[in-house]
Amino acid sequence: MSEKNDLFTLAEFDERESEHIAAPRYSYWKSVWRTFVSNKFVVAVCIFMIIVVLFAMIQPMFSHYDPMYAPNINDPSSKFLGPSSEHLFGTDNIGRDLFDAVWAGARNSLIIGFGCTLINMILGIIVGAIWGFSKKVDVWMIEVYNVVSNVPFLLLAMILSYVLGSGFKSLIFIMCVTNWIYVAYFIRTQVMIIRDREYNLASKCLGTSTWTIITKNILPYLISVIMTYISREIPSNISYEVFLSYLGLGLGQQNASLGRMISAYTSYMTGYPHLFWIPVSLLAIISVSLYLVGQALADASDPRTHR
Amino acid sequence: MAEKKIILSAKDIEVKFRVRDNYLNAIRGVSLDLYDGETFAIVGESGSGKSVFTKTFTGMLESNGQVTNGSVMYNGKDLTKLTTDKDWEGIRGAKIATIFQDPMTSLNPIRTIGSQITEVIVKHQKVSGEEAKKQAIDIMNRVGIIDAAKRFDEYPFQYSGGMRQRIVIAIALSCHPEILICDEPTTALDVTIQAQIIDLIKELQKEFKFTTVYITHDLGVVANVADRVGVMYGGQIVEIGNVEEIFYEPAHPYTWALLSSLPQLGVKGQDLSYIAGTPPSLYNVIKGDAFAPRNKYALKIDFEQEPPFFKITDTHYAKTWLLDPRAPKIEKPEAIRNLHEKIAAMTSKGGAYYVEQ
Amino acid sequence: MEKGYYFKRIIRSVISILLVITIVFVLVYSLVPRDRIFNSDDTLVKLGGKPDERLQYQMRTWQRLGYIDYENMSNYCASLYDAGSDAINACNVAGAKEEKDFVEKYEGQGYTIQYLPISHSPIASKDRPIALRVVEWFRSLIYFDTPGYVDKELFPDLERKIYFGKTPTGGLAIKCSGCEHKYLLYTDLSFPFIHQHILSLNLGQSYPTFDSLQVLNVISDSQGQENRTETVFEDGHTETSAYKLTACKWKNTLDKLDRNKFQDNYADCAIIKKDPSMMGISFIMGVIALILAYGLGLPIGLLMSKSKGGIADKLGMVYIIFIISVPSLAYIYFFKYLGSTFFHLPTAFPTYGVSDVRSWILPCISLALPSIASLMLWTRRYMVDQMNSDYVKFAKAKGLNQTEIYKKHIFRNAIIPIAQGIPSSLAGCITGAIITESVYSVGGMGKMLPDAINSYNNAMIIALAFLYTTISIIGVFLGDVIITWIDPRISLANKEEGR
Repeated sequence: MSEKNDLFTLAEFDERESEHIAAPRYSYWKSVWRTFVSNKFVVAVCIFMIIVVLFAMIQPMFSHYDPMYAPNINDPSSKFLGPSSEHLFGTDNIGRDLFDAVWAGARNSLIIGFGCTLINMILGIIVGAIWGFSKKVDVWMIEVYNVVSNVPFLLLAMILSYVLGSGFKSLIFIMCVTNWIYVAYFIRTQVMIIRDREYNLASKCLGTSTWTIITKNILPYLISVIMTYISREIPSNISYEVFLSYLGLGLGQQNASLGRMISAYTSYMTGYPHLFWIPVSLLAIISVSLYLVGQALADASDPRTHR
Repeated sequence: MAEKKIILSAKDIEVKFRVRDNYLNAIRGVSLDLYDGETFAIVGESGSGKSVFTKTFTGMLESNGQVTNGSVMYNGKDLTKLTTDKDWEGIRGAKIATIFQDPMTSLNPIRTIGSQITEVIVKHQKVSGEEAKKQAIDIMNRVGIIDAAKRFDEYPFQYSGGMRQRIVIAIALSCHPEILICDEPTTALDVTIQAQIIDLIKELQKEFKFTTVYITHDLGVVANVADRVGVMYGGQIVEIGNVEEIFYEPAHPYTWALLSSLPQLGVKGQDLSYIAGTPPSLYNVIKGDAFAPRNKYALKIDFEQEPPFFKITDTHYAKTWLLDPRAPKIEKPEAIRNLHEKIAAMTSKGGAYYVEQ
Repeated sequence: MEKGYYFKRIIRSVISILLVITIVFVLVYSLVPRDRIFNSDDTLVKLGGKPDERLQYQMRTWQRLGYIDYENMSNYCASLYDAGSDAINACNVAGAKEEKDFVEKYEGQGYTIQYLPISHSPIASKDRPIALRVVEWFRSLIYFDTPGYVDKELFPDLERKIYFGKTPTGGLAIKCSGCEHKYLLYTDLSFPFIHQHILSLNLGQSYPTFDSLQVLNVISDSQGQENRTETVFEDGHTETSAYKLTACKWKNTLDKLDRNKFQDNYADCAIIKKDPSMMGISFIMGVIALILAYGLGLPIGLLMSKSKGGIADKLGMVYIIFIISVPSLAYIYFFKYLGSTFFHLPTAFPTYGVSDVRSWILPCISLALPSIASLMLWTRRYMVDQMNSDYVKFAKAKGLNQTEIYKKHIFRNAIIPIAQGIPSSLAGCITGAIITESVYSVGGMGKMLPDAINSYNNAMIIALAFLYTTISIIGVFLGDVIITWIDPRISLANKEEGR
């Protein structure tokens, strides 16, 4: 009985205990990692993507593939060979090894895709951040943006590659010369939206340093939207390279390019379908896996998905 | 209060939400009888389940939410069993109407005010467009829209916040509902407009004779309009009673804490009172009294076993072990003693809130 | 307020166009070596053995295309002496005494003097400044036809007037005597029913492909075989002919054939051909693709939003991811392969030509694929956004059922941003689809740009840049105008301030 009555005495009041209940520990980066890893399919795609990218980067170093070098051009017996142990993907119309060719092409596509995205993002984020924070810059930049955004990109890209000639440097220049401004505009809008959110004003009023506001409040939000943007930007840059090269305007004859291969092998689609389908499939696989991983990273880096 | 007809009766309602792989126990066994013509106020912190509970009356739970237990009897029908739009026809919007917190977003921005009122009238009363327009203009006049006929064809963005809330009320009342649920109807409005809207609802209630359920965390509004009050915490009603009983004879420590934190009760020079801690996470199974961890007057049993409802008067019940005969006698906190005089004093000074006797 | 906004917006658009064209002009004419324009010119190859003629031909071509001011002895002699005189013949012989004056005169004016490799006769040339060329391009861009067009010295007695009349087919017309065109404004039974020749665009001359044609005619005139029909001429006689009599221009000298057909000097008539123009083909193809895209993309997007998270939604997302991430070239070829292998559809447009439906199927589908994906994505997103909005909850609380809410509230609101894009897409149809038309060898506007680039047809490139830019600006502008109609909240002037 005494034990029972003991229950009816006042309990110790612990204020910390009461705070503890609904606020579990939270670390942004750990949560990003946990959310990302929790999706097994995406992890598999990610591993696959890393293998493909590494292979595309390393294989050409050993094969030294050069599209201008075709020693078997006069040897009919080494043309149009089907896939075999010697030539995994077979050979093309002038006896070049397709396996070496597609990986060299994939490497160039990836360099263009990642390189241009990197340049555009760095330029765009820096300019966009300044643009979003400064009203003075905004007045001018918005006019520049209006003019630039009125020019169809494909038109500009084609004219520029016509004018500058084909090649790695000019292609990267073309794909960056105006595209960063779209990134900057996007970042500007995001910065403007987040900057004026109540929680940031509140943080500011509480005396939180600008640095903390940027790293704790703004950055986690921006990382997610930037990742979303990147996941679309890389495949789209790869696509532009392929397309321009297809028209003979992107990479020159001296560089291996999947676009150029696709365009050159179109005519063998019925006779030697592997020549056409292997580059196309590789291109599709690389782009899709990059996109999926990017989207998953974007989701994982959005604090709202963290549990 | 004389014996009144029960218009709606909720029994042991439990509501769960599926959030990713977890279940959130939003409502944990709530029963309530609504009497015809009364004004019932539900108060509580954000997340206490006030809105979710009333949403079960109109089948407005979000798609991941589900009533897992209990019943809501209205007009001989169990509302929790209704699923399709067809089942709800003639009840939702017609007999039980709701108005929401934010009048800025409750109206479709790209359709005229008039068309948004008439569509309900046409829907529920099956009248012609012309007749509906006549009724719409009539109700617009009733809720205090000047030049109603002229403003019929205007768009929401041409109305002020207070005017829009009047329109929202007009829409809700256009079909003469029996029950009106007001989900924080004044939170998004200016203080000056708040009183106008509250008065308008009171006036209309007299005229149309409907039952009102107020959901609010504004105790001033409660004191002003309510006949009865239910205090909600952690997905349960913890105390229920007539407005006088809740304000002058509160029995639950949570109600004490809530009343103590009224800024108007603060004494100059002293810190304002507040409730320490945060509400419980409803993802976890709650053991004992949900309020215990934040309760200065918590007993050891509060952490072990959930308290039952203790009857104080015929109309006043509270869910706390403190009312158990075995519990030690505990004095109410200083701040809410003599609440009667304090509120009276505030009223005479022309404070924002006043209690109608 | 509103008017001021439109004015500002138009000024801004014009400035945009001016800037873009200027930049393209400078790029193309200063960075591309001018010798390259002869890369595909057969005439120059034929002149390979005649260095004098070859150089003069190059000079004349550059002069014609506006690169340089060019002078040679024969022009100089003609300016000094009467035609046919002995003096002019003596002057035209290499080594004549006038050559010294020629060199002095043009050196004084800043020309560069060169001597022809064989005859050693001097020629003078001077580069025209790019700025001047840009200004001239814009100045001659818009051309008004007036009764003063016909040379007054050659035809002093020609009556010059504008008068009402009828076309040979019986339509109403405003006609002109002395203008370049006989029919300034007329009606007939073909779209758009009212046609005009008062105002025309001069986008320059095409070279080396479609040599010496007006660029605008290259892209807007019908193509293919001549479409010969029984035609009633102005004097009443009929004969089988492909002439478009309402589009006849003034001709200074008539030959015998002309005199048999025409009563006056308006004998330089356009020829009606069987196939639509490049613009026409692109437009028809674009419109079909657009109808396909909206016809499929909108309902599928709707369906996806309704079954959010369900099977239909997931399948739709797979398609969207496929289109977004796979390079367009790859999936266009993929669908081309599917179409040709399983449905035996032609893989090149010219195989069966314009008149055969089969030619159109694959290009139209491949053009619609990305639009379908993006419409699906946006429709779904806007619908979901609207579904979560408070007024939809309130509409439900009002007692409206799901269908009514979708019809009266969600769809109408979600469609606004989509409607904004319609004019742009429609305008985009005119400029064609570069990728699709290249893959299927469709003779449309889209293929024109890569073709022009590969053949160094600079005038065509400038003209296309102008058209593309102008059309895209007009499209965006119309899109903004459209949403002010559907969305009562938006007025363009406010939008401006909101920035």
